[in-house]
Amino acid sequence: MTYFSPSRRKFLKVSAGIAGSALVIGINWGCDSAREQEKVDEENTFSPNAWLKLDNEGGVTVIVAESEMGQGPYTLMPMMIAEELEVNWSQILVERAPSDPIYGYQLTGGSSSIRKGWGTLREAGAITRTLMVESAAQHFKVSSSECSAFEGKVFHEKSGREIGYKDLIQIASELPMPTEVSLKNIDDFKIIGQPLPRKDVPNKINGKARFGIDIKLPNMLYASIIHCPVFGGKVKRIDSEKAKKIKGVHDIFQINEGVAVVGKDTWTTFKASSLIDIEWDTGKHQNTTTESLIDDIKNTRLGKIEPIWEQGNLDQKQDKVDKLITANYLQPLQAHVPLEPMNCTAHFDSSGNLDVWVPTQSPSEAYKTAKRVSQSKLERGIKKAQKKYLGIHDDSIRIHTTLIGGGFGRRLNQDYVAEVVQIAERYDRPVQLVWTREEDVQHDFYHPMTYHSMTGGLNSEGLPILWDHLIAGYDARKKGAISNLYNITNSRVQLLQKPYKIPKGSWRSVDRHYNVFAVEHFFDELSLAGNHDPVELRLKMVSDSRLRNVLETAVNKSRWGLTDDSVSFGVALIHEWGTYVAQVLELHQIRDNQFNVKKVTCAIDCGIVINPDIVKQQMEGSIVFGLSAAIKSKISINKGRVEQSNYHDYPILRFDETPQIETIIIDSVEEPGGIGEPAVPPVAPALANAILQATGKPVRELPVKL
Amino acid sequence: MEISINNQKFSVDVDSDMPLLWMLRDHLGLTGTKYGCGIGICGSCVVLMDGHAVRSCKTTVSMAAGKSIMTIEGLSSDNSHLLQQAWEELQVPQCGYCQSGQILTAFNLLQTMSHDLEDGVFPTDDQIDVAMSGVLCRCGTYPRIREAIKLASQKMNKKL
Repeated sequence: MTYFSPSRRKFLKVSAGIAGSALVIGINWGCDSAREQEKVDEENTFSPNAWLKLDNEGGVTVIVAESEMGQGPYTLMPMMIAEELEVNWSQILVERAPSDPIYGYQLTGGSSSIRKGWGTLREAGAITRTLMVESAAQHFKVSSSECSAFEGKVFHEKSGREIGYKDLIQIASELPMPTEVSLKNIDDFKIIGQPLPRKDVPNKINGKARFGIDIKLPNMLYASIIHCPVFGGKVKRIDSEKAKKIKGVHDIFQINEGVAVVGKDTWTTFKASSLIDIEWDTGKHQNTTTESLIDDIKNTRLGKIEPIWEQGNLDQKQDKVDKLITANYLQPLQAHVPLEPMNCTAHFDSSGNLDVWVPTQSPSEAYKTAKRVSQSKLERGIKKAQKKYLGIHDDSIRIHTTLIGGGFGRRLNQDYVAEVVQIAERYDRPVQLVWTREEDVQHDFYHPMTYHSMTGGLNSEGLPILWDHLIAGYDARKKGAISNLYNITNSRVQLLQKPYKIPKGSWRSVDRHYNVFAVEHFFDELSLAGNHDPVELRLKMVSDSRLRNVLETAVNKSRWGLTDDSVSFGVALIHEWGTYVAQVLELHQIRDNQFNVKKVTCAIDCGIVINPDIVKQQMEGSIVFGLSAAIKSKISINKGRVEQSNYHDYPILRFDETPQIETIIIDSVEEPGGIGEPAVPPVAPALANAILQATGKPVRELPVKL
Repeated sequence: MEISINNQKFSVDVDSDMPLLWMLRDHLGLTGTKYGCGIGICGSCVVLMDGHAVRSCKTTVSMAAGKSIMTIEGLSSDNSHLLQQAWEELQVPQCGYCQSGQILTAFNLLQTMSHDLEDGVFPTDDQIDVAMSGVLCRCGTYPRIREAIKLASQKMNKKL
């Protein structure tokens, strides 16, 4: 099912130089249609299951059904299979799964890849290993209990014979699939737990790695798009006279989402776009401003407050409450701005089949979108019935998922798929749609703005015994606010949903980002009001031993407690996605109102670790991502338009603004937890807590200027 | 017009105001150089022109005519350049999209420093900050880039 990989033998010769590291995706091929491409030489490969292909030359290809956007699944998923399969890591090749229903619903997000694959992939590896052993046993005419597998071979100790998996594929393909297999003991792991080099790195340092925007197909046209600058607006009139005069422009026309420009190369379409005069019907959002949004979400009388969680007695005047503290936190809209802008490539071939190449976090969602846009309701209904009653999958649409130049949740939305399909429908040539950076900044699916109203009550010993948290926002959610880390006797969380105004999407760590800020910073405000040390108070109130452990580890590794007037520290905790993280942020005061984040010490307990170096990468990357939002950026709205347009006015953290980062990974035999998002939420509150320690003043609005 | 890319001469027929970036990507199929912002601020488009790092999104084809351009593809044929070795040893890239610009900017720094020094190149944190702060990374690979530049310079010095 790999449509643009050369036949296996040719592929192996090409990859011999960079053994085990070449990725098949996106290599140029020279024929007119993806489906005319010669299929892989299937006589010489054997697929025991959806995730593995073994060939007769010793190549072991793992098919990964997770999208690679830097977080490591092209390495982590194969490591889990390879461990049980008993092959050498260098034998492993990697391919991205197609949009085939045998992979089930494909979506990469929510820090879930390892947890999804932990059981399934190891089992797939173990079943295949067992099959190889049984095949060898048959070949040697011995009992399989006398055979064992190691590094891609099966050994029969008694007779001293051995045979490679590659020579067993014929026999294996005829044996029944083993149903009972045993998984390895953690003590016997040789691959899992090792900081093995990533399979995708070699091509990411020489220009060969192909992202969606790098797909090149024969006879391909390029397109770009202009969306209405005001959310929800529509095209009224297009004047494309000047633009059409640009050499190489093919056509300019309207699609559902805006105005499309088609031309012979990307530059031509960008240039032409800037010359088009469009009159917009700006619609009902033309008066929206950041201020109007803030006024709206601060107004707790407008809208229905939804109870999320409650325990104990919430009466603020109750006897035991000695001191009452209130706080409000305003957190802004944020954008994703991955370095690879939005793009998608599509081709309708002469039979009407549709191929889409896209850097997507969900090929399943891309498939649904392509289908919705390219097929009539009647056609979709017929195909749905065929699937339901005859089990026939509509294969006329295929999604080819490429490497992604940064996802962070943005690539869960498939708007660019809908757009390019409408454009490609008019041509029999492939069309690549590339958005400008400006379109990306102004037509994102933003991390929502939220407003948090906090009330805390301390008893006579200064201990928190009352906690009331109201989250208000546009499509705001509750996770991170109900983790109940501190088990405060009388506590409540409520949610006030404001009607959807600005397009909202998932932004790395989602609701935990804004809720953990509110929880962790307010906890420190209470700690200060009660005259307690924030670390000691946490240790007093946290009963979860894994959470206590990461806290103590981070604190001990940091310089917490250092007596230097110009140095302050802030701590923050999180327990989400099955993972525990504690961060201590060290803040230096340079002058009166100027600070610098010197270091972040991060302790993580994510259970059994698949690849410790990838965990460290994710800690480093998450901290940079979280700090960026805490101190650098926000999206603002004026007249219904996003005011920012590029990296100059929506800045992201720079090299010279990055603190030292030290990661300590806790040794654990617990079930693996997620690693892609957990280290994002603690950064902003750890910073705010350090500022509180330094100045005595809390942070009530983000981003904070250092 | 004639243009030299990675020691190969090409004859190109595009508008002279086309940015070098798009000529490389769409007309020569050299997609290692990336589009990130189009306004010269993110550094993903960095290439070397007569040995100096330039932003190819702000360099027109006519400005590049007659000059010698090196893209990431020209660094080595087999990942053997010392910077690539360091990048691989320290596992620098995450998504990888910005890395061509990062590597060539680092190359420019070490190259520039080595002109003046005969006994070795020892980039300080401040020097690395100044050189690298104009190349953006959303994945946060900065700490590893810093270490990889130091490692590459150590490798360079060993060869002296």
